[in-house]
Amino acid sequence: MTDVVLETHNLTKQFIRRKGLSSPRNPFGKTVFTAVKGIDLTVGRGEVFGLLGPNGAGKTTLTKMLCTLLLPSAGSAKVCGYDLARQQGKVKSKIALISSEERSFYWRLTGRQNLDFFAALHGISKQITRQRIEEVLEIVDMTEAAGRRFQEYSTGMKQRMGLARGLLADPEIFFMDEPTKGLDPIATWHLHDFIRNRLAEAGKTVIVATHHLAEAEQICDRVGIMYAGEMRASGPVKELIGDSTLSDFFRDLVEQTMVERAGN
Amino acid sequence: MAFLKKDFLMEVSYRFSFVLQFASIFFSVVMFYFVAKLLGEAPSVQKSLSEYGGNYFSFVLIGIAFSNFLSVGLGSFSTNIRSEQMIGTLEAMLVTPTTLSNIVLSSSQWSFAFTSLRVGVYLLIGGFFFGVSFTGAAVLPALLALVLTVVAFSSLGIISASFIMIFKRGDPIAFAITTSSTLLGGVYYPISILPGWLQSLSYLFPITYSLHAIRLSLLQGGGFSEVGGDLLALVIFSCITLPISLVCFRLAVARAKRDGSLAHY
Repeated sequence: MTDVVLETHNLTKQFIRRKGLSSPRNPFGKTVFTAVKGIDLTVGRGEVFGLLGPNGAGKTTLTKMLCTLLLPSAGSAKVCGYDLARQQGKVKSKIALISSEERSFYWRLTGRQNLDFFAALHGISKQITRQRIEEVLEIVDMTEAAGRRFQEYSTGMKQRMGLARGLLADPEIFFMDEPTKGLDPIATWHLHDFIRNRLAEAGKTVIVATHHLAEAEQICDRVGIMYAGEMRASGPVKELIGDSTLSDFFRDLVEQTMVERAGN
Repeated sequence: MAFLKKDFLMEVSYRFSFVLQFASIFFSVVMFYFVAKLLGEAPSVQKSLSEYGGNYFSFVLIGIAFSNFLSVGLGSFSTNIRSEQMIGTLEAMLVTPTTLSNIVLSSSQWSFAFTSLRVGVYLLIGGFFFGVSFTGAAVLPALLALVLTVVAFSSLGIISASFIMIFKRGDPIAFAITTSSTLLGGVYYPISILPGWLQSLSYLFPITYSLHAIRLSLLQGGGFSEVGGDLLALVIFSCITLPISLVCFRLAVARAKRDGSLAHY
């Protein structure tokens, strides 16, 4: 890999849960839950990397750490050469987080007003904001609908506005958390096409956290399979699965992990 | 400016509520006008208010108008953070290069701007409809007192937002200060009618100095020499509480990022 844009070493996230009044005998006691454990990951420029795993595997926690929304408990990471813990401002200028969360917009504002607000948060100068907004609206085919309130959009349109917002600052890395959740097959196809043919071809790196194996097989250059906070396998899809299917490979891996854990 | 514009657009998108807020100001002023008519002629009231010209209506008008800044300063930071958490926009903002401190401070711009507008409306209604005179008002000392008031109240508000960041609900700071300030700060009555020990206690709250300075400036034309002591008290208060509030907020954010509870509500 010649041009590495994302690199993690032993990245770990532990949550400390205080027992409180739910445990009257020991209200000040704590339990430690390891959500992400010792992740070593390298992703190159222009790659589409899939983070696969069942619900609760740690995909979202890892994504949030890489987006600076969570502080790692241990380990280190570099995003576009910037240290995740010490240079968060620089890291944030290089990334976009696109989640399936519709609530991350102001529903009473129009699509264009939403983009105008987030463009300002990205530090895009007023002179070029309007032009940039029209560019990204055109890319996601939302120019005509941009004057309508966000609350009037369909799920697919809301997702496209999420993409438009992600594109505003022209980031190097797109983090997508369950990007096709709630989308119909046509909207899903459009999004996959967008990731492969617009983003990856433009040299953008895309990290997709998903539990849709078919989606990962279709759009990812490489995948990392997470289970119980650990990266159990990673590599190019074809190399990983051989003659099998990703679905079978994934099931075997999960079963093998469960057997190992039961043995321990 | 982006926050101001966004919040303005959000506010006016609820047109009925927007208009209703101004209507409520009018009715509140009318109510106090009649209370003032009832009490205003009493010699004891005029004696207690002699420092401010003896008119209860103008006294209470300034009190209720400017105590709005107390509510906004104390509540807007925590309310706005909580609102962004609940709407779901906080994380989307936090992945932009804008810092959280900047987001928190900017998110209250509209609250302060709108409160200034509301205070202006209070004074206009009092002046135009109920004969309160501001002709001899010393505007500069009043403005300086207002700026210091905003800074002092905001410091407390940022500490309050730190609590919200960690505990999500049930902020003791805002509750304690709002209740004590309304009771002791001279919003509805002069502190001179309080027992001695409560009067001493009232000097611990910035609203006491704010209202004293603003009333003297606007109603009696009090210049810097008359309100200098109040302004100095507000400066000292801000110098102590502002750094403390910023440290508290930084610690609260670091804790929330560690716990993963930044966007929880």
